[in-house]
Amino acid sequence: MNIFEEDLNDTITFWEKIKNIFRGKSLWMLHYCTGCGAVELPPTMTARYDMERLGMGPMATPRQADVLLITGYLSVKTLRRVIYTYEQMMTPKYVVGFGSCTLNGGIYYDSYAVINRLDYYIPVDLYLAGCMPRPEAIMNTFKTLENMITKGEANGWKKYVENYDWYRNNQIRSLGEVYVKDEFHE
Amino acid sequence: MNSTNDTKELISILEQSFDIKDFTTPKKNEISIVVDQNNVPTILTYLKDKGWKQLSLVTCIDWIEENKFELAYVLFNWTNGITFLVKTKIDRKNPEYISIIDIFPGARYYERDIHEFFGVKFEGNSDFEKPLFLELWDDKPPMRKDFDPLEYSKRKFPDRKYDVELSKNAVKEVIKEGEINERT
Repeated sequence: MNIFEEDLNDTITFWEKIKNIFRGKSLWMLHYCTGCGAVELPPTMTARYDMERLGMGPMATPRQADVLLITGYLSVKTLRRVIYTYEQMMTPKYVVGFGSCTLNGGIYYDSYAVINRLDYYIPVDLYLAGCMPRPEAIMNTFKTLENMITKGEANGWKKYVENYDWYRNNQIRSLGEVYVKDEFHE
Repeated sequence: MNSTNDTKELISILEQSFDIKDFTTPKKNEISIVVDQNNVPTILTYLKDKGWKQLSLVTCIDWIEENKFELAYVLFNWTNGITFLVKTKIDRKNPEYISIIDIFPGARYYERDIHEFFGVKFEGNSDFEKPLFLELWDDKPPMRKDFDPLEYSKRKFPDRKYDVELSKNAVKEVIKEGEINERT
C-alpha cells in the first residue's frame, strides 16, 4: 500500500484511496450471461482455477453486484434489459466486455439484431481479448480490473453520469424509446 | 404394422383426390408433397385424421427469382415415426394466406413468426400482426432476400471507425526503414 504523507493532509483523496483498495479486494460480479463467452466462467469458478481466492464471487442480484460482465454478442432486445440492469446497480460499478463482439460486432457486424459497439450504450472499463477467452485470460482481466480499481482508474460509472445525454441519445437511436414490452405479463 | 404399405396407400388416395404437383421422399421416413394452395387445409385435416397429429413446424422460404413464397408445413406421426412435409407456393407481391389454427392451434405462433420475418398475412389468425421477436421494427421483414442487413446495420448501429489509410502508411514506413537498415 502506498500512502504518502501529503495524502494524509488531503482527506478526500486519502479516504478515497482506502475505499478503492477495499473495492478492489471484493468484487461481486453479476451473472447476466448474454453470449457464448459465459461458458468459460464455470471452469474459472470451480476447483481448478478457483476465482474466489482473488476475492471475486458471483452475485445474483444487480443491486448487490459490482461488476457487470457482457460475455459476447448483445442482441438489441437484450441490450435494453442490460441497460436496465446496469442502471439498477449501485455505484461504483464496472463493466467488462468479453471478446470481439462487444468491441466491433465480431462475426455479427452485419446482423440486423446485434449491436456493433457496446461502449456507445454503456461505458466499458475493460475489454477482454479472446473468442472465447480462456479461464487464465479471465483471471488476468480480473486482476487488471482489481489494480485499476485500486488506483482509481476504472471510472466508467462516473463517465456514464457525466455524459448521460450522449449515452441516452445513442440508446434511443438504436433501440427506440426505451421500454420493455412483454405480452406474457400484461 | 407395416408402415410403408400404409403410406403407399395413403399417397395413392391423395393423388386420386387432390392435384399433387410433386411427390418425393427426401430421407427415410420422410415424405414431401407439393400441392396447390387451395388444397392445403383439406390435406392437413385428412393427414391429421390419419395420425399426423403433431405440427412440428410451419416455415416460409423466399424464392425471389420465381417471385413466390413457399410455405412448408411439417407434420409428425407418433405411431409410425413418419414425417410429412406439405409445401405450397403463394404470391410474393401481395402475400396472403389462410390460417390453419382451426386444424392445428399450435400454428398461431408460427404464423406470427412468418408474418414478422416474411410479411405474410394470415387470414383467420386474430393476432398475427402482434410483434413477437423484433421490438420496434421499422424496415421491411428481415428474412426476405431483398433485405440488406449490412445497410440496416450501418444505418441503425454506429460503427467503429478505423483509419485504414493511416495504418497502411505506417506499415509502409516500417518496411522502408527496414530496407534502409538492411542497405546500411
